[in-house]
Amino acid sequence: MKYVPLILRNVSRNKIRSLFTGASIAVSLFLVVVLYSLLMVQDEMAAGAEQYNRVAVQNVQGLTGNLPIAYVDRIRKLSGVRSAIPMSWFGGRYSDEKTTFAQFGTDPRYTFDVYEDYKVPPEQLKAWQADRTGCIVGSLIAKNKGWKIGDKLPLKGDIYPVDLELTVRGIYDGPSSTDREMLWFHFDYLDEALKKKNSPMAGNAGIVMLRATSAGKIPELIEDIERAFASSDAPAKALTEKQFGQQFMEMAGNVRGFIRYTSIAVVVALLCVAANTMAMSIRERTREIALLKAIGFSRSTVLGLFLSESVLIGMLGGVVGAMSAKLLFELVDFSKAMTGMGWFYVPWSTTLAGVGLATAIGLISGIIPAWRAAQISVVDGLRRIA
Amino acid sequence: MRPAGLMVPIKYNLRSLRSRKVGSLMTIFGTGMVVWASVFAFGLHAGLKHTLDVAVHPLDVIVLRQGSTSETVSGVSEAAARDIVALPGIATNRDGKPLAAPELVVIAYLSRRSAPGKANVSVRGAIPLSRELREGMKIVQGRDFRPGVREAIVSRALSERFLGLGLGEEFVVQDSKFTVVGIFEAGGGAVESEIWTDQRVLGQATNRTGGMSSVQFRAASKDQQQRLIARIKADEQIALQAITEEQYFADQAEQGKLIKYIGNMIAIFLTIGAMFAVANTMYGAIASRAREIGTLRALGFGRFSILTSFLLESLVLCILGALLGCLGALALGEIRTGTMNGATFAEVVFSFNFGPEVLLRGAGLAIVMGLIGGFMPALRAVRMKVVDALREV
Repeated sequence: MKYVPLILRNVSRNKIRSLFTGASIAVSLFLVVVLYSLLMVQDEMAAGAEQYNRVAVQNVQGLTGNLPIAYVDRIRKLSGVRSAIPMSWFGGRYSDEKTTFAQFGTDPRYTFDVYEDYKVPPEQLKAWQADRTGCIVGSLIAKNKGWKIGDKLPLKGDIYPVDLELTVRGIYDGPSSTDREMLWFHFDYLDEALKKKNSPMAGNAGIVMLRATSAGKIPELIEDIERAFASSDAPAKALTEKQFGQQFMEMAGNVRGFIRYTSIAVVVALLCVAANTMAMSIRERTREIALLKAIGFSRSTVLGLFLSESVLIGMLGGVVGAMSAKLLFELVDFSKAMTGMGWFYVPWSTTLAGVGLATAIGLISGIIPAWRAAQISVVDGLRRIA
Repeated sequence: MRPAGLMVPIKYNLRSLRSRKVGSLMTIFGTGMVVWASVFAFGLHAGLKHTLDVAVHPLDVIVLRQGSTSETVSGVSEAAARDIVALPGIATNRDGKPLAAPELVVIAYLSRRSAPGKANVSVRGAIPLSRELREGMKIVQGRDFRPGVREAIVSRALSERFLGLGLGEEFVVQDSKFTVVGIFEAGGGAVESEIWTDQRVLGQATNRTGGMSSVQFRAASKDQQQRLIARIKADEQIALQAITEEQYFADQAEQGKLIKYIGNMIAIFLTIGAMFAVANTMYGAIASRAREIGTLRALGFGRFSILTSFLLESLVLCILGALLGCLGALALGEIRTGTMNGATFAEVVFSFNFGPEVLLRGAGLAIVMGLIGGFMPALRAVRMKVVDALREV
């Protein structure tokens, strides 16, 4: 502990240099933490999805295949199923927006039983169940688009040749692992509109989401479901909610890999930069180091002194960078600028890992310069001028 | 007497960089990594964008169901398609036939070759005229599909990425087996993410006879194009919409925005981080050369030429870094990848684009790093008093 003041003095002897090194670590760490959070939050959501015993049933042909709406009742009757709902992706356009958001036709009776982690006030749920053209929206999207209960919400059909005239009847909420940017409406409303137009697209449940009575029942249930529909026109595939989520990551391709490569490049660049600074600052102090050794400081103490210095700079940079990433996404809501990004946040685990990474960068970048400093021979060092 | 405008020879800076070998190399390597990562991110977005807007003829128009934004979810009845093909104002080919093709697009759900999982792939049911609307397409292996049988041709990119799409292999579209008889290339563009087969065969195989996904045509002129688009829109009976293909793909490219944002964010943050690093290196360089700077001043080099000299030195560092970064990106060769197109729900295959524009943007970043990072240190060099500087050990 007695060396702490010395280390602090060394860190602050060339303020601009320490500041700049810290700043370049901070800025890059900010970036790495944000990029990694993108990956971590996806994983976290997939892992969190397991505890609610949900199973998704889809056409074997994938998400664009059809499942007849009659499947929902058949699945609901299977043993081990607590409740089941259709989830028919509408993909409509709201006002003149170019991109769509998640809008599902469902069965309001069971929606919040299947999604037990999503919360809605009971009177709002009742109002939605009672209104055939009613819808219920996530708290985040409601806030960003300024929707309030009672608002009219027209959706122009894109996949479907019909438009919907919805009224907001409720707003649901949930913890950060839930998707609070969805819109739920009555499947029957869409289906009747399609039937009125004689559209061949009527009667498509899209996918069926069910909640099993217990986790232990799920493997058996998946087999039962696949067997029950195997020889029908629309054979079905059942997936746990986790597998269902992974499917989307697989469809997104190796974008995740690219995020990883970029982060690695950033870290390697940082190592060079930090090592360079340390080397410069030690070269300047050759004479001082020799003096330290002349008055009896051991090699390991000298090594420790310089390593602590670079670790301290790295750690400070890491704390500033990682914490500002954490705070920025905590305080500023970016989902307004980009619908569909409302799930994004910077987890504490990633923030701390970022600080750890920065500390490691400080340590590794200091090893060679500090080791060289420890090797300096007293005589040569003292003789040397700058 | 000061020889006005006399510049410090650049040789001086180059020699100085050489005499501080390790430090210079570390800085070059660091900026190189930063340029590399930025170019990588830019290349990803540029590749995706290139795929969605290359090879689109400015006179081409696509007709979809009103409200649809992509072919995979659109529907056009056969009768309406026939009416559209017969409209006056559509360009004709050498045989005098209108350059218009009703096409059917369905989705096949196929397994990836090298990664786990499955993805959606677009299968296009085409007619012979479809080919004339996409001039770049040519078969590079095998032969064309024959009409009336379950044969297909596949883009080279897809055949490498999905099981069952290699030459001679079989794949399944909604329970029907198709054989791959040919591999084609199209010089980039959306077609590079498609499987092509006979329109009627595909319609029968998927129970979609009588319904098309879209009609593509080429207008005879810009005026005709506008007239035809207005005319199709005005016909409320058929409830269709016509948009230029340029617009169609531009709308789909909106989906690539997230990649663009992330790419820009990476570049901006890394550049700022690297600026600090460059500034550090230059401060170090200048501090250890105080005496030299004093000597230069004493010799009569002006403040301006010293400032320029040190800025140049930092620029040289960064440009070498940029060179390294760009070469590193080019050394990756052709990286082909794919992601889901949010508008069609189908895989879009594209190559990273490390074209001149992308590389120049990377180099531009390096110049910004060099100039801004080098400015404050260079200013310090200029501010040194000759006497003090000479006295420094």
